[in-house]
Amino acid sequence: MSTHNQGTELDLSWISKIQVNHPAVLRRAEQIQARRPVKKEWQAAWLLKAVTFIDLTTLSGDDTSSNIQRLCYKAKYPIREDLLKALNMHDKGITTAAVCVYPARVCDAVKALKAVGCNIPVASVATGFPAGQTHLKTRLEEIRLAVEDGATEIDIVINRTLVLTGQWEGSDFIKTSTGKETVNATFPVAIVMLRAIRDFFWKTGNKIGFKPAGGIRSAKDSLAWLSLVKEELGDEWLKPELFRIGASTLLSDIERQIYHHVTGRYAAYHDLPMS
Amino acid sequence: MAATRVGPRAREIFTTLEYGPAPESHACALAWLDTQDRLLGHYVNGKWSKPEHRNSVPCQDPITGENLASCLQAQAEDVAAAVEAARTAFESWSRLPGAVRAQHLSRLAKVIQKHQRLLWTLESLVTGRAVREVRDGDVQLAQQLLHYHAVQAYTQEEALAGWEPMGVIGLILPSTFSFLEMMWRICPALAVGCTVVALVPPASPTPLLLAQLAGELGPFPGIVNVISGPASLGPVLASQPGVQKVAFCGALEEGRALRRALAGEGAELGLVLGAEALLLLSDAADVDSAVEGVVDAAWSDRSPGGLRLLVQESVWEEAMRRLQARMERLRSGRGLDGAVDMGARGTAARELAQRYVREAQSQGAQVFQAGDVPLDSPFYPPTLVSDLPPASPCAQAEVPWPVVVASPFRTAKEALALANGTPRGGSASVWSERLGQALELGYGLRAGTVWINSHGLRDPAVPTGGCKESGSSWHGGPDGLYEYLRPSGTPTRLSYLSKDLNYDTFGLAVPSTLPAGPETGPTPAPPYGLFVGGRFQAPGARSSRPIQDAVGNLHGYVAEGGAKDIRGAVEAAHQAASGWAGQSPAARTALLWALAAALERRESALASRLERQGVELKAAKAEVELSVRRLRAWGAQAQAQGQTLQVAGLRGPVLRLREPLGVLAIVCPDERPLLAFVSLLAPALAHGNTVVMVPSGACPLLALEVCQDMATLFPAGLVNVVTGDRDHLTRCLALHQDVQALWYFGSAQGSQFVEWASAGNLKPVWVSRGLPRAWEQEAEGAGPELGLRAARTKALWLPMGD
Repeated sequence: MSTHNQGTELDLSWISKIQVNHPAVLRRAEQIQARRPVKKEWQAAWLLKAVTFIDLTTLSGDDTSSNIQRLCYKAKYPIREDLLKALNMHDKGITTAAVCVYPARVCDAVKALKAVGCNIPVASVATGFPAGQTHLKTRLEEIRLAVEDGATEIDIVINRTLVLTGQWEGSDFIKTSTGKETVNATFPVAIVMLRAIRDFFWKTGNKIGFKPAGGIRSAKDSLAWLSLVKEELGDEWLKPELFRIGASTLLSDIERQIYHHVTGRYAAYHDLPMS
Repeated sequence: MAATRVGPRAREIFTTLEYGPAPESHACALAWLDTQDRLLGHYVNGKWSKPEHRNSVPCQDPITGENLASCLQAQAEDVAAAVEAARTAFESWSRLPGAVRAQHLSRLAKVIQKHQRLLWTLESLVTGRAVREVRDGDVQLAQQLLHYHAVQAYTQEEALAGWEPMGVIGLILPSTFSFLEMMWRICPALAVGCTVVALVPPASPTPLLLAQLAGELGPFPGIVNVISGPASLGPVLASQPGVQKVAFCGALEEGRALRRALAGEGAELGLVLGAEALLLLSDAADVDSAVEGVVDAAWSDRSPGGLRLLVQESVWEEAMRRLQARMERLRSGRGLDGAVDMGARGTAARELAQRYVREAQSQGAQVFQAGDVPLDSPFYPPTLVSDLPPASPCAQAEVPWPVVVASPFRTAKEALALANGTPRGGSASVWSERLGQALELGYGLRAGTVWINSHGLRDPAVPTGGCKESGSSWHGGPDGLYEYLRPSGTPTRLSYLSKDLNYDTFGLAVPSTLPAGPETGPTPAPPYGLFVGGRFQAPGARSSRPIQDAVGNLHGYVAEGGAKDIRGAVEAAHQAASGWAGQSPAARTALLWALAAALERRESALASRLERQGVELKAAKAEVELSVRRLRAWGAQAQAQGQTLQVAGLRGPVLRLREPLGVLAIVCPDERPLLAFVSLLAPALAHGNTVVMVPSGACPLLALEVCQDMATLFPAGLVNVVTGDRDHLTRCLALHQDVQALWYFGSAQGSQFVEWASAGNLKPVWVSRGLPRAWEQEAEGAGPELGLRAARTKALWLPMGD
């Protein structure tokens, strides 16, 4: 990430003054999903753009170097070459924004990306993911080790005990959730977070990034997330430095939609390579 | 691999991430127009009518200007034919069991569901409104309306016992309306058993389509008839014999003109005027959500008109910045595009907005416009006007779509004063996360609908209407049903027009009165004077009028009240109004019961005065007794007013409040000088009004007797009684701009004058049209009709959430 949040004096009045009307935010969330349909070429272009925002993720207990390798290959070549050619987009170097793995798999990912000649960052969840309920000392050590292994982005689980007791932490990016909760990225929550990002920018000039994660599976969902960011924050936030989508299966649905857009047919399961 | 279907633009869009068109195909709308050979007539009595030798008006796509069809313009005889069809249909439709009507309405809902694509594409095509709003909003609500009213029809015999359908309803709709406005009115009318003739503006195919869908359902053609024609046919429709009520929605001045034109005609008039809304944004609000409220209220195609926005000073900068940022993201375009927020509403709407903004600018206002809007006509960008000097003409005028006029306020109290300081009283929203403040503002606003922390929600079960110059007609909920009902047994409304009534001179001059000898009434005589502000006062004219008894002897003298006395009485009533409205229902009950007890004690004096008027002693005593009962009964009812509604899709209640009208003027009939006086006074007070009363002209002395008790029991100004020349006093009251409602029981000419004069501030009026009323009977003397007319409804939406 190019610029870091330099931080500001903690002014709790910013937080205490915030008013959020829950039913009104729910209403806005409902509207925003219906008001900006994107069709045809626009849909294809938006979907390809969405690919470039994806933190292609695998966070399973049984991850090994082989599926990490496959993931990294898919990150480098997210959409079938012939489909990109048909869209005249083959020379745009479309890759996902990053791959996201557990700390112990960072090494595998760095190696695999190097092997396919891809320079996208490796992100690692760290700090006692997903609960964050470990000691500060081990949390910091975890980050240090992941960075040593080559991770350049760390998704930190904040200490929610501190948050719920009013002790906040700062960051460059804020993420809706770990993706491991029962409820993950929802539009109403996102609206509140995006508005907070905008207010922070208006107050300090610092742009904080936004990453929804968990449960974003369909191409249609990803379009709604893009238009949500476009509507609430504007086009300047629609770049990988400021917007990521944490997802594992989303990419294959996007590829299916692109396939349909290009060929006019619905793809069979085996038509597209797995990740 | 199959041949690619890809255009060249993906590369470019990938960089710009712009929105593209998301067009909705309107092929089925065109196909439907083709079934009529692109020539639309009227839909009357279950079939199309295309009379010859009529003018036709082109129906155009408001955005491309493309000619879609020609629409025949009705003439008076077409109107008459439609009313005749509706009259015939009424004979059978109104006699059906409610359950059968319910079934029919449900079937119509199903038909709409089946043909909804046709409906929404046609509506969006011809009106230019955003298709998403029509599809997800209007069409769904239309079906909900039919379902809700089917249930009302089903339960009618039980729930609305004692009421009967009025008859043929005339509906006059403005050129800037959605077909939904028609549905809000025809659904309750049909449910209770009325039939409808709708006069729609030239080139509005959707109502015709709806009529066709209803007509093709079969057994009841003629219950919905739609004719299209110029606005000048409105009075023609209203004055057709058999039309019992005219529901008008449209511009203020058109409504005012119609009110004057229909004075003395048979039909009752229900008005819904203007389209401006109000939004109060306090410093305790979720400002971002309130900004979305502004978008809903003014910059979307669900908004009927412009918006007056009041923002608390301490969040002014913040609110303006957010508003302007939000405006940048609004999109205008062809209504049939699924991704636009605002379509176009035709050149007339655009010119209206343009003119208003230009004038506001010349009066010193700041204008901000933004959004992704095509530059060419007929689009007009979302507009935010601020710094408009409070006294400038634009600050007083109605704000047109899509304009928002923002002004600051300092305190909640000031916000209420500013918000209530306009002649309009339609809908408003309050944005504050402080519960106490939100309720204070919600209750304090003089408006028909108030939403807390939301804007523009609608539901068939919630009455929607207004007060002041926004008109006092209702649709939706129980109030919407009563609009088309009358107490069973009420005679059919016929024209009682007196053509030679001169509005300029009616009641202008007060005939001079001379001494008529010494008073011979029972002693002690009531104190002499007008009962104003809690005490007896000498009249401004310093003259008196003699009152005769049944055999022509002088009964006594009463004060000759005049214009100045009316002015004083209305002022006194206003001073007492907030205190009385703020009293608990229990306190109102106590006071009415105290008056009842006082009348009981005064029975012999009252009875002997009645005797002098020719009533037998036994009957006189019975009349006093009945008057006492009336006071007690209305006193008891003061406790049970308003209700809580639960609507679909909303967590939280909607309160249906029954609020006082304000200062209610009552001109009592000559007959039944005690009973009628009390029967009218009691419901007015029970509902929290303060009153100015003109007692029976034949024998005002009984009312003055009662005033003696009111002088000791009631707060000053709660009830004011002015005696004198009835025509003159009626004139003064009817023309008074600060009297909120007027009940008139007297001559036909007086009734006609009252209807005509009420156009001034559009106060709701209730006139007897020269017909007598059976005050001693329960239905006419104490029925629910009086309670309905004695208060106005307000819907207060309270969405909840943590």
